Amino acid sequence: MAVVTNPQVDKGSIEKGVNYSTRVDKVGGRVQTVRTIRITAAVMLAFLLLIPVFWMGATAFKVRADAIATPPKIVFKPTLEGLIFLFTDRSVLNQARSKRLKARINELNWYERIALEGGQQITGPSEYVTRLRNSVIIAGSSTILAVALGLLAAYAFSRFKVKGESDLLFFILSTRMLPPVVVTIPIFIMYTKFGLHDTHIGLILLYTVFNLSLTVWLLKGFMDEIPREYEDAAMVDGYTRMQAFRKVVLPQAITGIAATTVFSLIFAWNEYAFALMLTSEKARTAPPTIPTIMGRGGMEWGTIAAGSLGFLIPVVIVTFALRQYLLRGVTFGAIRQ
Amino acid sequence: MFPDNQTSQRTGYQQRQLSDRSIQWLFITPTLILLALFNIFPLFYSLYLSFTDFSAIGTAAPVWVGFKNFSTLLNDPQIWKYFATTGRFAFLSVGLQTVLGFALAMLLREKFRGSGLITTLILIPMMLSPVVVGFFWKSIFNPSSGIFNYALGYFHPASAPGPSWLDSSSRALWAVVIVDVWMWTPFVMLLCLSGLNAIPDYLYEAAAIDRASAWFQFWRITLPQVLPLLMIAVLFRTIEAFKSFDLVMGMTGGGPGDSTELVAVNLFRIAFEGQWRTSYASALAYIVLVIIMAISNVYIRNLNKVRGEG
Amino acid sequence: MKKRVILAWLVVLSLLLVACGGGAAAPAEPTTAPAADTPAASTEVTSTTATTSTAPTTETTTTTATSSSGGGQAAVSTGDVKELKILWAQWDPADYLQEIGKKYEEETGIKVTVVQEPWPSFYNRAFTEFAAKGDSWDLVVGDSQWLGQGSSQGIYVDLTDFLKSNGIDKTVTPATLQYYGEYPLGSGKYWAYPTEGDADGWAYRKDWFENPEEQKAFKEKYGYDLAVPKTWKELLDIAKFFTRPDKNMYGAAIYTQKEGDAITMGYENVMFSYGARWQDPKTNEVKGIVNSKESIAALEFYKELYTCCNPPGLGNAFFQETNDAFVKGQAAMAMNYFAFFPALATDATNPHAAVTGYFANPAGPTGERKAALGGQGMSIISFISPERQQAAMDFIKWFAQEENQQEWADVGGYTCNINVLKSPEFLEIAPYNAAFAETMTMVMDFWNIPVYAQLLTPTQSELSGYIVGGEGKADEVLNRLADTHDKILRENGIIK
Repeated sequence: MAVVTNPQVDKGSIEKGVNYSTRVDKVGGRVQTVRTIRITAAVMLAFLLLIPVFWMGATAFKVRADAIATPPKIVFKPTLEGLIFLFTDRSVLNQARSKRLKARINELNWYERIALEGGQQITGPSEYVTRLRNSVIIAGSSTILAVALGLLAAYAFSRFKVKGESDLLFFILSTRMLPPVVVTIPIFIMYTKFGLHDTHIGLILLYTVFNLSLTVWLLKGFMDEIPREYEDAAMVDGYTRMQAFRKVVLPQAITGIAATTVFSLIFAWNEYAFALMLTSEKARTAPPTIPTIMGRGGMEWGTIAAGSLGFLIPVVIVTFALRQYLLRGVTFGAIRQ
Repeated sequence: MFPDNQTSQRTGYQQRQLSDRSIQWLFITPTLILLALFNIFPLFYSLYLSFTDFSAIGTAAPVWVGFKNFSTLLNDPQIWKYFATTGRFAFLSVGLQTVLGFALAMLLREKFRGSGLITTLILIPMMLSPVVVGFFWKSIFNPSSGIFNYALGYFHPASAPGPSWLDSSSRALWAVVIVDVWMWTPFVMLLCLSGLNAIPDYLYEAAAIDRASAWFQFWRITLPQVLPLLMIAVLFRTIEAFKSFDLVMGMTGGGPGDSTELVAVNLFRIAFEGQWRTSYASALAYIVLVIIMAISNVYIRNLNKVRGEG
Repeated sequence: MKKRVILAWLVVLSLLLVACGGGAAAPAEPTTAPAADTPAASTEVTSTTATTSTAPTTETTTTTATSSSGGGQAAVSTGDVKELKILWAQWDPADYLQEIGKKYEEETGIKVTVVQEPWPSFYNRAFTEFAAKGDSWDLVVGDSQWLGQGSSQGIYVDLTDFLKSNGIDKTVTPATLQYYGEYPLGSGKYWAYPTEGDADGWAYRKDWFENPEEQKAFKEKYGYDLAVPKTWKELLDIAKFFTRPDKNMYGAAIYTQKEGDAITMGYENVMFSYGARWQDPKTNEVKGIVNSKESIAALEFYKELYTCCNPPGLGNAFFQETNDAFVKGQAAMAMNYFAFFPALATDATNPHAAVTGYFANPAGPTGERKAALGGQGMSIISFISPERQQAAMDFIKWFAQEENQQEWADVGGYTCNINVLKSPEFLEIAPYNAAFAETMTMVMDFWNIPVYAQLLTPTQSELSGYIVGGEGKADEVLNRLADTHDKILRENGIIK
């Protein structure tokens, strides 16, 4: 294969990184200092950005009084109340019922006791897990579909002279411009008419469509950066166009694919307005569920935080799994014009 | 693995020509079909509705009223106020996101031990649901029990309270901008980082041979090379800024007064929230659409120019 | 060529969808159906764009629905109705109603299911279903504001004859029947059975109020005894007295949220008590009424209360925030709906529960006492079959019986039944019940006409801008609001 890879960058992605200093011939203390400052600044900024997330994590294990304490409580006694509340349906007890229940505390199991300490009686499992599963199904499928379709379209737009290319691209983008609030109503009408209301497939299709604009545009951006010479060389060697696409372009575009996947997933995962309007029970996802765990007669911060964190975990896992692709130095530098 | 070049060169070339066309169609049509299915009806239906008097929860059919909705909207000073607020919000938050996102990408560009972990961790704010973010930041901004003022150094909220953020007409928009920037800077950063990673080393090597200053390298190599992806990031963030409502809903509800009432927030109010003025909301949505399109057009034209040069 | 490719893609696409659906989507339903529908659907949609209306299926017309309601007495058999579905918001009273429902099932064999939808989407969920003339639920426990839309759009069954012929109208307090059931106001037509009475009241710190030192200091400063305020003026004095920021103590936590209707409700408590109203009851005129002297005084009062004595960070506060402020010992008094007081009355959620007292709104300058209304009435959906309507009426009839209303109150519901409200048992069930019973005689509400939300939006932003944001002067704000209300009401033919 006539592809020239840049060994330096390949190596760089492992540990040492692209060491620019070697090129400038100025290996010395000053560069080292600059590098240290750089790293320190990056770490500190990351830490700063994450404070609210840490705070959320801490809140998930706080009892209500600690969550709203003045001044904010940094050190506190952790509780599982938030988690238990998250996975259960409860009813708030008044003093009399609370006493009645306390009288037979020995019959209760550990989580019922913790709930009782929070003044609530568990009435059954909550819908959180179902909703989370719906989210996984819907966001996952739609992301795969959107990235797959977007990849094809982006390649075509990037490599071929498509008639009316800029108009088509603008049309694709324009689907993202109309505020969802308004598209919801026609889509709602459409969906109720064709039985797509409150179905997984309905939301999957919709999210796919809304992500297509992002995937097509982003992936086209990435593909434009991949030199055509690669495929041309491969095709001269006898690859068909499809083979060249699969075996040459796709591996090169992996950074773009990873980034696009993450963005699409995040959008589909957190979408609120459509989910609220187009689902009710069977296919309802997690974002419209979150306001429902707000609590009764006072914000149940622990529960909200636990729910939000639980909701964050799958996306973080996916992002971590894609991390090496996401951050890999692109390897086609050598023959780029 | 490779087909025999000698024998199939001519026919292979022809086939490839043929299949290039069909591949092109095969690759683009599914996207276009899906978009057409799901967008053309809503787009035209809401355009039609914007010329009618209609409520989606009413029993009456739409009544044609011509340009009435548009003239009412365009003559309503309130709406222009919301647009002005939205413009300020979009400018401030997208501007800050661009600068900070780019700066972060520059910091993280050189790999070091744990840089992958750090980069991924920075992406977390963007992964949160805007609804959740709204709720949580509302509590974080609380002057007595929140950590924002605490982090600014007001350790004794009772005796020495810090500034109130969400309760102040002048500061509330800034508070919303801060949260939006916190949430979406990672988006810009990640795209910039991809762009930076794609810059071929020989450009710097050539510059180094010429003894070009770091400053010169930045302006003539780094920035122009990253610009196309950076501009796509800015384009998407601008579009989203004009549409964003869930974050503000959770944090301020558009208040105090109308100080954070973004156009999309008001749109949500008109379209749902007990009002359900479907046709009026559609008209407003179309005005928003036209404005976003105009802005995007300018962007894209510049983007193409940048690409053409690069 | 192109066409064939497109066709091929359609096939591939639908196969893909089927495959996806089969693998991922709910296994309960045949996934091929929606996938196959999609392409066909779109062609139809694009061709009929202009004529598509929101009301597709069910043909039950309003006329048949309302006529069948008539006397209601077994005119229609309930057939084999085995289950009644009631839509309500997701909160504790809905759980309580579910418990009452269990009792009904034991007695009659008809299952009662309370479908709970979270507050933020409650309205949307209900009205999108109504727009489609859906029959998912038999009854809905809807807000008082829904009466206008519910009755004028044929969503609710007219219950006037049913309530009267069964004497149910006499069992609830007149104010609740009027505000939860009647539309238009004063017409004598009823659309709902007052189910969950609710209104704003106050929680206060008894330990602070009864502390002898505080009492002495208060008397010295204001010249009268520190006690539950009898007038709004006294409430302000007390709030100022207890506001000590250095000790993290504040006088009163009040509603200020811009989203929804919170700040309007908070202001209404003062406004109605000051003798101000939203409209002239006869002509619906608003100019000079929304911006009357009394209104201006009330608004200035509410702003002063906010500025002097509201805990910091509560500029966008509703029931959770005021309760939270109270729970953490920041507030001497907290405004809230009675429905949210249970959380203050248990040790588990409020460390000060034992020393928390409750009182009804104090009086305005002329001695008038009013409270902003919350709560809901139960209505029957007109899109369900006559048999189900009959079954729904049977349920209301059963639910309205005094013993069941007593039970309703026992489990924690807020009854509107006159006798139960007066009974000594009721007053003892919960510490706030006495204040609640008192409040139920003085409730008042915002507009409940179909365009109420259009009136509410500018009200919320003007009030929030003035009270929280400190923008403008009270008279300017209310003049502007009166003009806006006037314009909206004229456009909609409410003011002739």
